[in-house]
Amino acid sequence: MTLWRLEWLRLIRTKRWIVLLGVFLFFGLVGPFTARYIGEIVSFAGGGAQGISIEFPPPVPADGLAQYSSNAMQLGTLVAVIVASSSLAFDAIPEMGIFLRSRVSEVRTILTPRFVVSTVAVVGSYFVGVVAAWYETWVLIGAPDAGAVMIGAAYGAVFLIFAISLVAAMSGRATSVLGTVISTIVVLLLLQVIGVVEVVGRWLPTHLAGAITALVAGDTSSTHYLGTVSITLVACVVLLWIATKLAEHREL
Amino acid sequence: MIETDGLLKTYGSLVAVDHVDLHVEAGSVYGLVGRNGAGKSTLLGLLAGLRRPTAGELHIDAGSREIAVLPDTPRFDPWLTGEEVVGLAQELTSSSTDRVAEVLSDAGLGSAAKRAVGGYSRGMLQRLGIACTVVGSPRVVLLDEPASALDPIGRRDVLDLVARLRGSATVLFSSHILADVQEVCDTVGILDQGRLVFQGSLEDLLVGSAVPRYVVRFRSPLDSVVATMQHLDWVLEVEQTDGPGELLITVKSLDDAEARLVRVLADAGASVISFVPEEVSLERAFLAVTS
Repeated sequence: MTLWRLEWLRLIRTKRWIVLLGVFLFFGLVGPFTARYIGEIVSFAGGGAQGISIEFPPPVPADGLAQYSSNAMQLGTLVAVIVASSSLAFDAIPEMGIFLRSRVSEVRTILTPRFVVSTVAVVGSYFVGVVAAWYETWVLIGAPDAGAVMIGAAYGAVFLIFAISLVAAMSGRATSVLGTVISTIVVLLLLQVIGVVEVVGRWLPTHLAGAITALVAGDTSSTHYLGTVSITLVACVVLLWIATKLAEHREL
Repeated sequence: MIETDGLLKTYGSLVAVDHVDLHVEAGSVYGLVGRNGAGKSTLLGLLAGLRRPTAGELHIDAGSREIAVLPDTPRFDPWLTGEEVVGLAQELTSSSTDRVAEVLSDAGLGSAAKRAVGGYSRGMLQRLGIACTVVGSPRVVLLDEPASALDPIGRRDVLDLVARLRGSATVLFSSHILADVQEVCDTVGILDQGRLVFQGSLEDLLVGSAVPRYVVRFRSPLDSVVATMQHLDWVLEVEQTDGPGELLITVKSLDDAEARLVRVLADAGASVISFVPEEVSLERAFLAVTS
């Protein structure tokens, strides 16, 4: 039994993988469906009951992935943060923290597998959702540009890696899983709010969350995001360094 | 060997560990005794490297992977089996030989090894914690109240296990169950409000705290005996105990008592049932040192 296997078992035995995969797959399947049948859904729900006729433009492939991206990057990220927090906040129960900390010489030995396994699970689930959304968009609406989907998905994955890195850093300060989740969500929301200012927002990691939509729609080129990706990756490294330092200085 | 020099730990204005000079001989079993909140867990945390001292020095003659720590209420991921928990502890301590089954059996958990620890009782978790502690054959073992949650049989097993470690590992265990300390420890340290108020052998503690005192039981009424004894200059105190017809007589020296007490009691016409020097218990010694 190693710390890597421990994290794998945490994912499997606690059914966290089902939650992660389920959320992203659900949005991957529901997003394009909603985009394709939004008119019918609104009519069925009584949208034209008072003689008002709502006309939706014919759906385009970007709509299918936009629906997925929007849900995945909000509710999906929230679920990812909760799952990652439950693993990365390893001192939340001090007795469990003592068990691990008193047996390793460096705290990053504990932190690394937790970060890597959480990230792989989250990003893997996100990719599964992208594939589902891509396929269903292709079937229901039309084929989106494969290159744009893949590059957009990669940028989205970088945003999720940033979110997990943020969880790692926050777990070094917070004393509970809930505290880690809340502080991470607060920071992500703050970034969203700051991101409203376009001149700043385009350099923030949250800008990557909508990359797949913009790229598939052809609103921007893939090189537009390279600067943001670089900043986000540097931020990830800094956050992981902070996470390690905070964990090293924590007393139990 | 564990040695500290002026070890200090403060939290703001609160002094949790107050200039402690600890000396634990290699291979010995050291009992750290103190009331709740005396600083025992903080001191163990400092020795385990889980807390940083405010001042002072500490030296432990073992590498970080050779020090095993058991918290007072060990907890583990509930979806792991007992076997997996001990396996992880063994893996992290880089033990070359597989002792998982052996230590689980020694801890009385052989039949529960493949069960998820979420279903373990508190006593079973304590035993599992002990199995994790010893699986890596550590050179230094720090145990925080290891028998506090156990039933009498479990407590007996833990004390036997601690006793078996003597010689092969340096054991420091904290407890407020004085009988446990008395049974297995070579050396005792008494911690009071963060200060180490006594450190030495159990014998030194008991002898040093001993006051010459006799327990005398009478069949006759006590009033006249008490009145007679209170006027003697070599008698320090006469107190009636909860026992029927029983007096506790404190004298200046054992010589005085041996030479005169029996005669005085006979002269007073007392009918004596029994007459024994009081044995100093660790509890009384502890109270004497900390009061």
